[in-house]
Amino acid sequence: MLLRLAWATLTRHRSRTLLATLGVAVSAAMLLDMVMLSSGMRASLQSLLLSRGFQLRLAPKGTLPFDTEATIPDASDVIRTLRTVAGVTTISPVLGGQLHAAVGERTVTATALGVDPTVQGDYEITNGRAPATSNELVASEDFLRASGARVGDTLSVAAGYDAQLRSFTGRRTLTLVGVAHFLYMAAEQRSVALPLATLQDMEGSRARDRVSLFMIKAADDVSVDTVLHRIERALPRVSAVSTETAMRQLDTRMSYFRQLAFILGAVSLGVGFLLVTTLVTVSVNERLGEIVVMRAIGVARGRIVLQIVVEGIAIMVIGALAGLALGLVTARYLNSILASFPGLPAAIDFFLFEPRAAWTSLGLLTGAGILAGVYPSWRGASMPIAITLREEAVG
Amino acid sequence: MIAAALAVTLFQSIDTIAPHRPPRTMAVDERLATDAHIKIGDHIVLSNAPGAREGDTLIVSALVRRRADPSEVARAEYRVRLHLDELQSLIAYSDRVDRFAVATRGASTTDSAIRRINAAAFGFQAYRSRDIAVETSRTFLVVSRFHRAIGVITIVASAIFLLCIMLLKVDERRRDVAALRLMGISSRSIVWSVMVEAAVVAVAGSAVGVAIGWTASLIINWHYRAVYRTPLAFAVVTTDIVSLAVALSLVLGLVAGFFAAQRLVRMSALELLSGRREKRPPSAVAAG
Repeated sequence: MLLRLAWATLTRHRSRTLLATLGVAVSAAMLLDMVMLSSGMRASLQSLLLSRGFQLRLAPKGTLPFDTEATIPDASDVIRTLRTVAGVTTISPVLGGQLHAAVGERTVTATALGVDPTVQGDYEITNGRAPATSNELVASEDFLRASGARVGDTLSVAAGYDAQLRSFTGRRTLTLVGVAHFLYMAAEQRSVALPLATLQDMEGSRARDRVSLFMIKAADDVSVDTVLHRIERALPRVSAVSTETAMRQLDTRMSYFRQLAFILGAVSLGVGFLLVTTLVTVSVNERLGEIVVMRAIGVARGRIVLQIVVEGIAIMVIGALAGLALGLVTARYLNSILASFPGLPAAIDFFLFEPRAAWTSLGLLTGAGILAGVYPSWRGASMPIAITLREEAVG
Repeated sequence: MIAAALAVTLFQSIDTIAPHRPPRTMAVDERLATDAHIKIGDHIVLSNAPGAREGDTLIVSALVRRRADPSEVARAEYRVRLHLDELQSLIAYSDRVDRFAVATRGASTTDSAIRRINAAAFGFQAYRSRDIAVETSRTFLVVSRFHRAIGVITIVASAIFLLCIMLLKVDERRRDVAALRLMGISSRSIVWSVMVEAAVVAVAGSAVGVAIGWTASLIINWHYRAVYRTPLAFAVVTTDIVSLAVALSLVLGLVAGFFAAQRLVRMSALELLSGRREKRPPSAVAAG
């Protein structure tokens, strides 16, 4: 009965109700997007960092992994020391550099990773196999497209130039043995991976026994923080970065987006609230005669309040459900814009849908719907019956 | 003999005294100076590795304020500026540099300079400063596109809100408009009056919005300048932006007013008074 009365009231002015619902839908879409934005990138990066099970990264002191061109010297000694640290189970050294592949008359340049293929956590093989010998490499689809190379081809590559001698330096002939999806690379970034020793050798003295970072897996029965502190004690000349530390750094650098999400989310909720409050208030004003008649024939004040609140909630919930669908579409569009950030790993999503985001949005909007009905319902239920009936009858 | 002995002693002493090299100077980022309590004239030992026992001693000769460069905003790193040869020696970079900045005699000579450098160069490439600026500001182009998309969603929401409010307003005044219609006031005049009212609401709303936006921009700049320690302006309210916002709001108001007014003029005066639509035969509807 309650719902039927509320529905009848809402359908009395269809265009008005439809517009209000549409307005709430847009607000709900924006709110969902902002809730997704506030947590999406964090969750996305965390999932990416932990995707291969490495919980710790070691970078040159005072830097973040690959944030600068600095490298860690005496990598062999560092590995030896790390092997003595209790709780360290896997050590994956990585050296970053550039590789220039000669393709006919032109040169295709790619980001190169020197890794230990048996323990690496930077790529997943999608075709072919991982490098097994020192003269093999794997490459990304983008590199293959740019170079026209195929699995099984032999490539003439170099690690640098000597401007004075006008020649390539660190030249090698390597065999392309696989295609890989590079987890941390930006979209359309040409990438190759080859054995660490090969890349160190190609880069010459500046990379001898040096790496850009170590990726480390900690044992399951030891806390990551404990292992981190042990590593920091054993190796004071490197910075140990846990996933949590990386998250904190991200929070600092991307605080703008979280704050924007909070402000726009609050504005969206406010707009939806105002819209429904206005609509329900006007609707109650128009029906004051009806309301006082209901009270005059004995309908309880609480029931009248409940009916008006239900009207507000109904608009909010219907609008919110439409808005959730709209929000997913707009989130995909907005994500496609932010995904073109230079240097951002292609696997990172700013707008990551999590059921929690949808429930949060729906909960906030339902709460706003209840609040939106409070003032008009209180006003409607507290009107003096006799005076209002007389005024409404006289018109 | 004595003179010869003196000369030998002198030459020996010259040979055994280490050559005196006055400390070189360096400039320090203002943020680093604040955080590390560094003052002009301080002696600083620089090394190329953390915790190294040896290094070069330099004198701080200047504090450098960071430029309002958007590409550096999110980077919290400290910077120092050294003489080129000092840095090359410190990090064992030999006779190498990362880039050269080249001044040309004018825009017309830039193209030919780039062509000639690239033809002669091996292993490096000449770029126009403008192209590099475009490349380094790509982050902000992305943010700008994102803001524009958010702006479009906001405009859609505002348009719906405004239309809804106008519908409510005209519904409230059905009886007044019916009386006007019965007095002989034309539909066109009623439409205009509603549109003017909508325009006034839109302009008044946008004036309040501009005031809120301007206040918000002050708060945003104050907050983010402190967070990122930069003189960069994060939010700027310009005449163009205000004009665009007011014009857009006015257009939205007029359109919303027009559609709302159409509801009033499509109904007869009696329908407006009773609040109910009369069911007319199809021929009557066609006849108007």
